[in-house]
Amino acid sequence: MQKRTVTITNRLGLHARAAAKLVKLAASCKSRVTLARAEALHHTADAKSIFSVLLLAATQNTLIEITVEGPDEELAMETLCRLIADKFGEE
Amino acid sequence: MRGSIRKSHEERLEGIGVCPGVAIGNAFLVDDPRGRVVRVFLPKERLESEILRFREAARAAQAQVKVDIERVRAALGSDHAYILEAHLLMLEDRTLGRQIENFIRVNHANAEWAVRDVTQHLLEVYGQIEDEYLRERGSDIEDVAHRIIKILSGKEQRSLNELADNSIIVADDLLPSVTADLDPRKVLGFVTGIGGWTSHTAIIARSVNIPAVVGVRDITERVRSGETVIIDGAAGTVILSPSPETLIFYTEERQRQRQQALYDIEERELPPITLDNHEIRLRANIELIEEIDTYQRFNAAGVGLYRSEFLYSQAESGQPTEEEQYEAYKFLAGMVGDEGAVVRTFDLGGDKLHLEGFKAERNPAIGMRAIRLSLSVEPVFRTQVRAILRAASHGDLKILLPFVTNVDEVRRAKKIIADVKRQLASENVAHNGDLEIGVMIEVPAAVMMAEALARESDFFSLGTNDLIQSLLAVDRGNENVSALFDPMHPAVLRAIKMVSDAAAKMQIPVNVCGEMASNPAQVILLLGLGLRDLSMTPSAIPAIRRLVRSIKLADAETLAAKALSLDTPAAVRHYVQTHLNDLGSELLAAAHAG
Repeated sequence: MQKRTVTITNRLGLHARAAAKLVKLAASCKSRVTLARAEALHHTADAKSIFSVLLLAATQNTLIEITVEGPDEELAMETLCRLIADKFGEE
Repeated sequence: MRGSIRKSHEERLEGIGVCPGVAIGNAFLVDDPRGRVVRVFLPKERLESEILRFREAARAAQAQVKVDIERVRAALGSDHAYILEAHLLMLEDRTLGRQIENFIRVNHANAEWAVRDVTQHLLEVYGQIEDEYLRERGSDIEDVAHRIIKILSGKEQRSLNELADNSIIVADDLLPSVTADLDPRKVLGFVTGIGGWTSHTAIIARSVNIPAVVGVRDITERVRSGETVIIDGAAGTVILSPSPETLIFYTEERQRQRQQALYDIEERELPPITLDNHEIRLRANIELIEEIDTYQRFNAAGVGLYRSEFLYSQAESGQPTEEEQYEAYKFLAGMVGDEGAVVRTFDLGGDKLHLEGFKAERNPAIGMRAIRLSLSVEPVFRTQVRAILRAASHGDLKILLPFVTNVDEVRRAKKIIADVKRQLASENVAHNGDLEIGVMIEVPAAVMMAEALARESDFFSLGTNDLIQSLLAVDRGNENVSALFDPMHPAVLRAIKMVSDAAAKMQIPVNVCGEMASNPAQVILLLGLGLRDLSMTPSAIPAIRRLVRSIKLADAETLAAKALSLDTPAAVRHYVQTHLNDLGSELLAAAHAG
């Protein structure tokens, strides 16, 4: 299992378009991917469900903990973190 | 989920009663104004096929979105397709699908209702998100819900043709076309979440005489399809989960009203003549031309007050043109025939005219309104007068000037009317140059100046609502003081007496068009104060007709004379009630409520 905490840095946060990119990427992974706001870890979101991700309401500068568990967890974590660091290709 | 809450305790909700009568029936929920989403309680054996129906629609929606994505990609590039990608992900999201299917099972719901409710719930969660940008993304969820519902209702029209017998239509709001499409043999009543006396549902309900209550907040959240609902259209009350006692009470009340309606029909031709042989004229107040049916149903002797400003609520451009007005007034003139109709010129505030530079007023009730506005924005007034004069060539119309406080206002208005007549004559346009011009008596200044005003006018119309409000310095809409609004206040009776006397002395007719004219106990006082011409909401006419036929004018005069000598509203009320008991009439006993 991999765990990493990242900051959402794009200006608009995890809005529908960004969430769509994230969900598509997560869905392409074999591993289970969950997200949680760093200040509310008990409330996790399934990264493969767009509703779940949108309801995190992660705005710019929100700290998100990513948990990946499964056969491709290392690669999955890498690509997910890169997408977030790249600001979802928005800016 | 909200739809699954079962209530066991009786719940009474208050709204605005817009068509009187009791209805007891089964709620039929219509979830959107277009009537696409209704709530049907499905039997168990239909649930699985309903879930399949939803899945099929969701798949069709996905296919649609995929086509859209390809199109947008080709035209604008893949970056622009991402919102649609998000929509597609939402449609593919099993969290949503499972919730909707679960809702269908638990609530025996049809798919449209389940989609609406589940997505509505998501939207509520979204509404609480603090970031404005993210919050606005809720519209994507709405889009997706809309797409599925459209497919569902397009494929298999499970909407209004599911209407069962004995239905009470419950909706937030309904488009007129939807209301008009409902099978009137199956609809017993209407309840809506928004709207007022002149909302479409209200007008249609009155025109077909079906009990209706509007403005019942959150009604669609509180009631489920199929459950028993009672509506009391006179009181503006809606009762959910009625107790057995309540049910019996209203069943009896409904029976009594049905009987009453039969009497009303039997009696509608009976002349409104008192026991000592004085004829009282009973006329109708009308807001909208469409309501003219009710005027005929209750056999009113003409229209005593047509509130022309409601043309503004219907005008396509926001401001009714001369032709639009002419058509409306002409129709009115044609319908009322020899009985005639009194057209009150626009009683509007400046906000309605969209005047350039017009600032909202702090106290519009005593601001630039009615005749004041007409005289200050002459073109609007001239257009209206032209339309009335032209329409008056088709029937007996009269002009009534609202909110007059000063004789000079009447003189100026008459000068303009004379000028418009000259213009019409010079243009050879058909019109009636002889129509009567009356003055609305609704502010204390007009009461004090009644004799002088009578010299300048052909008739008076006594607007008791505004008069009581300004005479007693009470804002009816302010609940802290609304109880002080009291038609039985001796000052009100004295003011009415002054107007009645002045009109008699100057030999001009006077009509009462405020709510007092529809309240039996107050009508006795009005008659006793010398008034013989009452105009009211049409549905009140049968009760007032009966009242008139059951009393002696001489008794009413004695009663009014004594009431005038009393010094408090409480004393007047006490005296009137005691006296009504003496008369012993069943009807008069019923009038005590007023």
